Amino acid sequence: MAEVVFEARGVSKYFPGVKALENVSITLTKGSIHALLGENGAGKSTLIKIITGVYRPDGGELFLDGKNVRFSGARDAMGAGIGFVPQERNLIPRFSVGENIALEANSAHPLKRIDYATINAEARRWLKMLDLDIDPSTPVSQLSVAKMQLVEIAKALSQRSKVLLLDEPTASLSPHEADVLFGLLRRLRDDGASIIFVSHKLEEVVAICDTVTVLRDGNNACESRSMAGVGRQDLVRLMIGRSEQIPEWPERDSIGKPAVLELSGVSTAIGHRDVNLTVRDGEIVGLYGLVGAGRTELAKSIMGAFAITAGTMKLGGKPVRIASVSEAIHQHRLGYVSEDRKQEGLILMHSVLENAGIAVWRKLASRLGFLTDRTVRTKVLPFINKLEVKTPSLEQTVGNLSGGNQQKISVAKWLAAGTQLLIVDEPTVGIDIKSKAYLHQLLRDLSEAGTPILLITSDMPEMITLADRIVVMNDYRISGEITNTRDYGAMSEGIMQLIHADAA
Amino acid sequence: MDRLVRADWFGPLLVTLVAVIGMAAFSPSFLSPLNVQVLLLALCINGLIAFSQMIIIAIGQMNLSVGAIGGLAAISFAGLMEVWGVPAPLAAILAICIGLIGGVLNGFFIAWTGISAFVITLASLSIFKGINLGITRAQPFYGVPESVKAFGNTTFLGPLPWLLIPCAIVFVATWYLLNRLSLGRQILAVGGNEHASALSGISVPRTVIAAHAISGVLAALAGIALVARLQIGQPTIGDDWLILSFAAPVIGGAVLSGGHVSVTATLLGVAIVAIITQALVLFHIDPFLVQVVLGGLILWAVGVNRWREVRVQRSLKRS
Repeated sequence: MAEVVFEARGVSKYFPGVKALENVSITLTKGSIHALLGENGAGKSTLIKIITGVYRPDGGELFLDGKNVRFSGARDAMGAGIGFVPQERNLIPRFSVGENIALEANSAHPLKRIDYATINAEARRWLKMLDLDIDPSTPVSQLSVAKMQLVEIAKALSQRSKVLLLDEPTASLSPHEADVLFGLLRRLRDDGASIIFVSHKLEEVVAICDTVTVLRDGNNACESRSMAGVGRQDLVRLMIGRSEQIPEWPERDSIGKPAVLELSGVSTAIGHRDVNLTVRDGEIVGLYGLVGAGRTELAKSIMGAFAITAGTMKLGGKPVRIASVSEAIHQHRLGYVSEDRKQEGLILMHSVLENAGIAVWRKLASRLGFLTDRTVRTKVLPFINKLEVKTPSLEQTVGNLSGGNQQKISVAKWLAAGTQLLIVDEPTVGIDIKSKAYLHQLLRDLSEAGTPILLITSDMPEMITLADRIVVMNDYRISGEITNTRDYGAMSEGIMQLIHADAA
Repeated sequence: MDRLVRADWFGPLLVTLVAVIGMAAFSPSFLSPLNVQVLLLALCINGLIAFSQMIIIAIGQMNLSVGAIGGLAAISFAGLMEVWGVPAPLAAILAICIGLIGGVLNGFFIAWTGISAFVITLASLSIFKGINLGITRAQPFYGVPESVKAFGNTTFLGPLPWLLIPCAIVFVATWYLLNRLSLGRQILAVGGNEHASALSGISVPRTVIAAHAISGVLAALAGIALVARLQIGQPTIGDDWLILSFAAPVIGGAVLSGGHVSVTATLLGVAIVAIITQALVLFHIDPFLVQVVLGGLILWAVGVNRWREVRVQRSLKRS
């Protein structure tokens, strides 16, 4: 058995009313890449925060190099040798690469003189180790996202970390960039590093990890088990406690139905070229692609947020030019459920009623602009009820509801507005499995009832569950389209092939 | 060349040069020794005021109380000398301490409560100004010693005011702090990305308090310099600092959300404001229009900054 570098033994963490972790363990050996998996809410981020010293565990112990350790904070954990590359960008944009790498070292003495020559020389050493050809004096803000990611790893390494914890490191990387990162991680592993790799992309986990710990509902679904012979489906089973199920919905044929949205040869001001896309009455069209492929941007262009510079867009057969989002909503009855419901979709500090009614205010207001709660309530309530939003009252602040219920309100908002086409962007991010299935059923029913849906999601099972047709987008162009047969293996393979078609 | 154009100080420098040359061409008296002296004095005092705000902008906050702190330090300086006959250097040190305490209090309450700097400094603005008026009963202190008056109004080597020496030292020290000292880099790091700074082992509360302390000291220095210049301890000192304190850093390309300020360009921003103010006087334009021009200047500067930002993002996207 290889040497154990880090171990969390029987760790528990309770929050008021919730037990986030119960008796969870993870063991890290020298020279291995260890996957940490779990659904949203399984306790993964709580465990990460305990390992990185942000939270103190309520029970259990941590061991580093066989010694019992207690971290008093993030700095303490870092000092002890836990290197952390968080999901959100963690660099000072205006500072140079070198200074970012040395930030920790320079934070000790307020009156210490900063010696840029030494900083850059030191940085160059770490960058070279990662095969990164970056001048250390370049400001970080001038780097690509992928390079920033690598600089963060260099920064973590420069702190002579014994453990390197990477949280969703590939979330904003292209497949090629991710491959470069994996090559690097393998090399670090072969040099004896211990890496914890957190990712939602199970293909990546299968490809590069040696051992795996899965959390489910705050417990270990498996603990530090070897990845040998473990496949994607096994991981899914561990994560959700059963195999992935694609509901047995009949295939729908919408070929003859009238087109609600038709894009032909569309180019946009933010870089889409020659996009052809049709959404027919009663169907769900999925738009798949990697992060940065331009899907959300296309949705926003349809909504009038970015100008369409060439080609035609037809709604219900008639060519239209939409100059603003307001026009798209009020004159063309388009609805957009934003991927970022907290930032763009809902006003969290306002009530359910105010949020659900926001898109119909203009229609309901009397000629003098008066608007009563009662008018809004009669318009909105049927949809809130139909979607079974669980809220104590319509006056409840939306921020206090669960993610699933928040998402239902985002959808209810557009139903109340009577949309002729609903664009749904990443509808189930951060939503638990049960609400997810429910939302899927809801979207399916909606399309059946006559509201066609353009679905954007990066969640492959979700795409294969919901979409009638799947359109794949890559680098702001459409790279192909497949009719969904709901055969997971065949479909995911087909989609990946379309994505990599022009990358290869 | 491209690097030059992209530097923060390039635009303001160009504007300053054009303004100086233009003014000199239209009005020969602009470069007269007396006028140069007046300009340099304005540059010194307004530079201190602008730096006091710039430090706080660097950390991504704002300090509405720079004027109130500076005013309180000014009347304390004058009052200590008049009422108790405290020697000028000691009175200056005590006044600086008052500025330091004011700044530390601001920083402490911001860091401790997590309430926005805007609200905290709005409240402390009122408190400091109130103390000022309580002490002075809105009456100036006239008993400023001759040595202090002379220091604020005499020159060496022709038109160079004596005040220039301490101010120049402070300017260089501020540059050194923000570009070469760990503390200054920490201030900019916290302004650039507070979360990342904390994760890199920087104590955010300590840095916030330090920034406000420095801001308080700079405001106090400006107040003291203004007493020497005006020759009396006016209770109204500091009342009109706020717009200028933001205008100069912004003209100098400072990012109001924090993380980026330029000492040189801020100083050039101060110069531009001073020259334009002078121009209005020399051309007999209603001095009450100064505020209008200053407002326009801020808008123009913010517009230029925004445009540069958009351009950088575009070029990043293309590459």
